[in-house]
Amino acid sequence: MNQPASLPLAESLLAAPLPAGGPAWLDAARREHRAAFAAGGLPDTRIEAWKYTALRGLAQRRFADGDAAAAARGVDVAAFALPGVEGPRLVFVNGVFRADLSALEALPAGVSLQPLSQALRGDAEPLRFALSRPALVGHGREAGDAFAQINAARAADGVVLRVAAHAKSIAPVRLVFVGAAADAELAWHARNVIELGEGAELDLVEQHVSLGEQAQLATLVSDIELGDHARLRHVVVQDAAAGANLIRRSGLRLHARAQATLHVLELGGALVRHDLRAELVGDGAQFHTRGVFMPHGRQHIDTQLAIRHQALDTTSSSHWRGVAGDRARGVFRGAIVVAPGADGSDANLSNKNLLLSPAAEIDTKPELEIYADEVKAAHGATVGQLDERSLFYLRSRGIPLGEARALLTAAFCRAMLDDLPNAVLREHLSGLLIAQLPA
Amino acid sequence: MNDTMINEGSTATALRDNAGVAEALGRSYSAGFVTQIEMTGLPPGLDEGTIRALSAVKREPEWMTEWRLEAYRHWLTMPKPDWAKLNIDPIDYQAISYYAAPKKQPKSLDEVDPALLETYEKLGVPLHERAALAGVAVDAVFDSVSVGTTFRKQLADAGVLFCSMSEAIREYPELVQKYLGSVVPTGDNFFAALNSAVFSDGSFVFIPKGVRCPMELSTYFRINAQNTGQFERTLIVAEEGAHVSYLEGCTAPKRDENQLHAAVVELVALEGAQIKYSTVQNWYPGDENGVGGIYNFVTKRGDCRGDDSKISWTQVETGSAITWKYPSVVLRGDRSVGEFYSVALTHHFQQADTGTKMIHLGKFTKSKIVSKGISAGRSSNSYRGLVKMEKGAEGARNYTQCDSLLIGKQCGAHTFPYMEVKNPTAIVEHEATTSKISDEQMFYCRSRGIGEEDAVSMIVDGFCKQVFRELPMEFAVEAKKLLEVSLEGAVG
Amino acid sequence: MLKIENLHARVEGKEILKGLSLTVNAGEVHAIMGPNGAGKSTLGNVLSGREGYEVTAGTVTYNGIDLLALEPEARAAAGVFLAFQYPVEIPGVNNTYFLRAALNAQRKRRGEKELDSMQFLKLVREKLKVMQISDELLHRAVNEGFSGGEKKRNEIFQMAVLEPQLAILDETDSGLDIDALKQVAQGVNTLRSPDRAFLMITHYQRLLDYVVPDFVHVLAGGRIVESGDKSLALKLEQHGYAGIGESRPAGAVA
Repeated sequence: MNQPASLPLAESLLAAPLPAGGPAWLDAARREHRAAFAAGGLPDTRIEAWKYTALRGLAQRRFADGDAAAAARGVDVAAFALPGVEGPRLVFVNGVFRADLSALEALPAGVSLQPLSQALRGDAEPLRFALSRPALVGHGREAGDAFAQINAARAADGVVLRVAAHAKSIAPVRLVFVGAAADAELAWHARNVIELGEGAELDLVEQHVSLGEQAQLATLVSDIELGDHARLRHVVVQDAAAGANLIRRSGLRLHARAQATLHVLELGGALVRHDLRAELVGDGAQFHTRGVFMPHGRQHIDTQLAIRHQALDTTSSSHWRGVAGDRARGVFRGAIVVAPGADGSDANLSNKNLLLSPAAEIDTKPELEIYADEVKAAHGATVGQLDERSLFYLRSRGIPLGEARALLTAAFCRAMLDDLPNAVLREHLSGLLIAQLPA
Repeated sequence: MNDTMINEGSTATALRDNAGVAEALGRSYSAGFVTQIEMTGLPPGLDEGTIRALSAVKREPEWMTEWRLEAYRHWLTMPKPDWAKLNIDPIDYQAISYYAAPKKQPKSLDEVDPALLETYEKLGVPLHERAALAGVAVDAVFDSVSVGTTFRKQLADAGVLFCSMSEAIREYPELVQKYLGSVVPTGDNFFAALNSAVFSDGSFVFIPKGVRCPMELSTYFRINAQNTGQFERTLIVAEEGAHVSYLEGCTAPKRDENQLHAAVVELVALEGAQIKYSTVQNWYPGDENGVGGIYNFVTKRGDCRGDDSKISWTQVETGSAITWKYPSVVLRGDRSVGEFYSVALTHHFQQADTGTKMIHLGKFTKSKIVSKGISAGRSSNSYRGLVKMEKGAEGARNYTQCDSLLIGKQCGAHTFPYMEVKNPTAIVEHEATTSKISDEQMFYCRSRGIGEEDAVSMIVDGFCKQVFRELPMEFAVEAKKLLEVSLEGAVG
Repeated sequence: MLKIENLHARVEGKEILKGLSLTVNAGEVHAIMGPNGAGKSTLGNVLSGREGYEVTAGTVTYNGIDLLALEPEARAAAGVFLAFQYPVEIPGVNNTYFLRAALNAQRKRRGEKELDSMQFLKLVREKLKVMQISDELLHRAVNEGFSGGEKKRNEIFQMAVLEPQLAILDETDSGLDIDALKQVAQGVNTLRSPDRAFLMITHYQRLLDYVVPDFVHVLAGGRIVESGDKSLALKLEQHGYAGIGESRPAGAVA
């Protein structure tokens, strides 16, 4: 049962007129998704997927629709500088594409990168299939998918990225989403469609940053489809300001022998929710994720990872670490489904967490749902403190307790970045992790 | 009415085709016979009148009747549960008879109807004290009533109260009033509320301060009558420093309809007390096509109320069409300990959703969970558990291990652990694996001359060792046999 | 340098050390031998300040100060080093980084200047050479994925860099093949000096073939029951621990 659409948040999301002027099918789809959102309302904690993330506070707020002045907002490129990552980039400010901040010159052959707003002005037909549904994976029809629905109704911009068969992007492609303070507290939405053709290779870096501490609500839905033998390396750095409420949904579909590796850092934001879903639909597909979430202050960071093995000999490995301090709450769900007939599946998931403060909380829920017997599946989860033996070892070598703790905590998180090939980026991200630790 | 009779309907046809298979089928649920005995009871249906009638038949005091009615009124307001992982045909609560009992109510074991004694003997639980299991006192519950309790005198000498719940309500009303519903409140959940309204009998155990119960206590539950629900209520209280080990066993005849079993078990352990509760649940699981079987919806909860107390649940679940139970422990006292050891085996169309909840409130509390799920046929077997470390659970610890074994390609094995941690000094650890019996293991056994089924039961037995070790000896042997029988036809 | 008097210690409520006394002077190498469960490892852990080891009676004086009153890191800074029997693996913490953090923390505590990374690297290279250890070890995480022999050599290498005054080697010889044992022994011998003392805890005599001790003590039942020179070790090797200490008063001090 959902909360009624009469709550201030739902009301404000429904109030403004829908984006118009697109192809007729898109306008119709927008109306349909908006109606679905109005009928379903916001999810509450009785819905399993929202059990540990109450929208009570957020549901009482109102956000203005979009930022009419986004094109003119002064944004310093230094705000999203990322060492070790040079190359083409698309930058969005409050959900609106900013050509002046973007860099599209250096696109390798076979890579097409453009904002959704532009793509819709040209031949929108190739996007019809994707944009007719709230999301590629899971179809957005599950209970609690309200935000995917409102995103499908409202998102007018985002990324359309295609890598042609066998094309390789050498430099990473960077997608930057900037939330900038405006006259009012804003809601904005972005929709990304990313396709890798057969044998294509792509390095992708996705960044979420803020200018100013103002409260915002952003929804982002990304569909990522990998053709046979395609390879994706995807790094997500979410370092938004404390006012940002970010609700993201990333859906990946992997065809035969495709491989996707994700590194996800969840550092900033107020209420942060990421639904990360993968369907391994082709034989031999591989999906690997490494993630760190470090809520502190009063942050609430919720990651919902769901992996479905649907084909033969598919592999997934998921390693996530959480560190919660102050009054923060970290939530993790890691669900693995091995569908009937998906023999040879190998699924492994671990989630380890450290609780640093008496007022912090960690809720974790690894799940296995297995319907095939030729399967290797295991998961583990822990919540606790640093290993006493390691602490003692460090102290016996003369390192003071506080420093020993910081060192081990940083190592605990940094381990998730160990297999990131870009050393400069890895060091930079390590620095971000350490900066997040209590002094 | 001079004897019991094996219900052979389902095996008769098979017998003509293949004697070997028939034998296997006949063996597959050996407790599936019906006892022919004159019964009395209430007609199907449920309203306040039913509850008053039930309470009257049982000669209960007014406060008990009121307690039931209050629970019933609460139940009416509760939504019917809806579980994603279970396939349940809607239950018609008006089609169930809430009270069934043998017509002759014996005053002592000597007066018990011979047909009943024979029933229990056949189930391996002789009630005559000269033949009785050495060192085990048994309370036998037949449909809605307790038909007899053995070794009463020896227990009384030690100060232990062990009797049927009906008797306890009449004889020890202060104790019952003090503890009944104190662990599982009447409105705790849909089936607990229903049970509170209509429970018919069950066992009552009270171990006074400092007493170590001199023998194992045991209740044997038997559903016999058709269209009857069994709603037993068990309450075990161990006062300061008391120790008790309690066993329960369950069977029912083969019938094509589903029957409902909705029990509530409450355990209270005061300071330094220890309660060990073992279950071998072998309710009729339905046939190989998923027809019939017991719906087993049970609320079991222990309350480690005192410091340094310990409650340990061990269960072997092989029966029932659907099992829904989460024996839990509330770790209230400092340094209290909760344990849950479980083997759940599902075959054919059985569905089991079982696990535990460990709620840590006290300082330095400890819990350990070991769950072994075995799925065969088209069955579905889920572990669902919660470990909660509340703010005050300073230095608390939990370790959970869940292993699933799949036998065949059409079954499901699932693990849904919830971990909620609010204390930074607590440690929670969970590990789970899923595997199947490997071809190499099978080949190795067979190349040494061990037949396929024996190899499977050997490997399954090894898989379950950690849990079997926790069972009292006689039960461990029975549990092992039960697994073998339940797995027949699972391979090949 | 080190004076242990009538030391009693408990682990998980069980008394393990029952009145142990021992004096170690600068420049000396002492071997502590004894059967399993005698309290050998407990002694090492108590001296280095591990949690869970409760001292119920007795004193430990180190260079005139009460060693037991110090936190583990303060003991390290004061020059006490424990080479662990089972060095813990610390994934994600680089060996070099760890060692530099340790050395600088100790120097800081002693009021010495911290080493910058160039100075540190120079020191490490020197020590690697002396210890005959490959620098590949520096790039790995602390003990992670190390073989048993590598872990023990890493302990000795750390000792070389940290230059303690009192080194306690807890069964450093266990689980080593003869080549690894020789390497470890050579490392220890290189570090022997007039102002440094060693306490070698071992079950077997064979380490003592390579690192020749000045004194050998037999620890049994939580006490030193016999003390002597290296010939005592040989005697133990021949006759075992049975019968040791029965002829002498317990609590003999070297």
